[in-house]
Amino acid sequence: MNKKSSYVLYIFLGLFVLFTTQVVYLISMKSMSDEMLQKKITFVEVVGLPDLALSTEATYVRHRSLSDVFSIYKDDGSLREYFPSTFAISHSHIYNKQKGSE
Amino acid sequence: MSSKINIYLIKYAINSILRQKYKTFFIVTIFTFLVFLLTSIFFITNSIRYELDSTVDALPQIIVQKIKAGRHYDIDVDKVDEILELSGVSDAVARVWGYYYFENAGVNFSVVGIDKYENQYKNSLQSIVNKFDFEESSDEPFMVVGQGVKEVMNSSYFKEYFNFIKPDGTLKKVNIRGVFDSDTQLESNDMIVMSNETIREIFDIDETKATDIVVKVANPQEVSMVASKIKLMLPDSRIITTQDLKISYQNIFDYKSGVFLALFIVSLFTFFIIIYDKSSGLSSEEKREIGILKAIGWRVDDVLKEKFYESFIISFFSYMLGSTLTFAYVYIFQAPVLREIFVGYSQLKTTFELPFIFDLQTLFLVFFISVPVYVAATIIPSWKVATLEADEVIR
Repeated sequence: MNKKSSYVLYIFLGLFVLFTTQVVYLISMKSMSDEMLQKKITFVEVVGLPDLALSTEATYVRHRSLSDVFSIYKDDGSLREYFPSTFAISHSHIYNKQKGSE
Repeated sequence: MSSKINIYLIKYAINSILRQKYKTFFIVTIFTFLVFLLTSIFFITNSIRYELDSTVDALPQIIVQKIKAGRHYDIDVDKVDEILELSGVSDAVARVWGYYYFENAGVNFSVVGIDKYENQYKNSLQSIVNKFDFEESSDEPFMVVGQGVKEVMNSSYFKEYFNFIKPDGTLKKVNIRGVFDSDTQLESNDMIVMSNETIREIFDIDETKATDIVVKVANPQEVSMVASKIKLMLPDSRIITTQDLKISYQNIFDYKSGVFLALFIVSLFTFFIIIYDKSSGLSSEEKREIGILKAIGWRVDDVLKEKFYESFIISFFSYMLGSTLTFAYVYIFQAPVLREIFVGYSQLKTTFELPFIFDLQTLFLVFFISVPVYVAATIIPSWKVATLEADEVIR
């Protein structure tokens, strides 16, 4: 095996080691612990409201699973979906779905 | 399993890769970027969905809202008694919640009322709130706020209390009694929890009205039946069950969502262009190389094996590099730039500390839509050339 090939092998090996250590680090440090999960569950039980506080610009984005098509217009009749988050997170389709199935 | 891996072929492949430095560098860069982009989006969305799914069962089984003229409207508290009479219902509670717009900072707070004399809340709050003493001066109105709310209030110099402006223009002073644990930040960032009396005063909601009614059903299998009974009893209502919430969580990132589609299309198109470019024909130099190899005695399958090793090393290296970068980008650096799509421009920003899940499915998915396609795109044109006569190719 010449020098160049062994360099490539070492780079591969290094990448594997980096990948594995990173995954092990993330699993031990950044995954959701039981205690954390319990806290989240307790919080949700107390508050009783769905969805995450990731996007809070408008009510229909904040509690999107409680919203319906009209919620968009409730904030303002001429409101267009101009929030960056509404391009990624759509409003709830439950209302339409139920209407369709009836 | 008679054929062993030919180490000389691998060596030849590595040397061939290193000989074409710039081409290899270009391919590795583009390939890594595409893998990075695809896996980042998948990881972020999966983590958000995981976060949502892990708490969905703690939510009320049925939420009853009143709809009037196509809008959500306050429901009568009397309806609670009617709902309680239905068989299967074990509990029904009218609750008050809403949004308070804090004009000074331009943010919406989600304000939720709880029954402050209920022991159950007392214990629950104590476990999720930093420095919370329920007994202390309990006659004064108080609230517990999320971390984002606390920061916004601090920046407006409301450190100990906050003045809510009531609908008639007068002020309501409410003390800040605690801040929710930062572990719950993705849920609690914009939340304010206070007693039902205070919230009714702030929003001027009558004692006989409530925002919605939450219903508890003893047997989970009866939820849909009870929901339809409530719908029959209160035709003007909108019933949301946990099942609906789950469906809603499932399609949270609807593919109408332009940004996702745009990102996917751009990345996939770039990839297809590379592949098209590769498969549309080899350069004359590459053809000559294959011709010479054949002339000195290589068989077709040796050439193909060598090409396979070459493309696999490049694509697998890029894939590994892309995945490693993604893990660091999403979970350690909290996805700068891409995070803006999800968080938006609201002032109440969370830290975007998503729970890590080692998502093998996504890793495999991205692997199979990138590596084999690239390998095939390299081997097929080589096979076309390798099956020709050697002198024909060299000439």
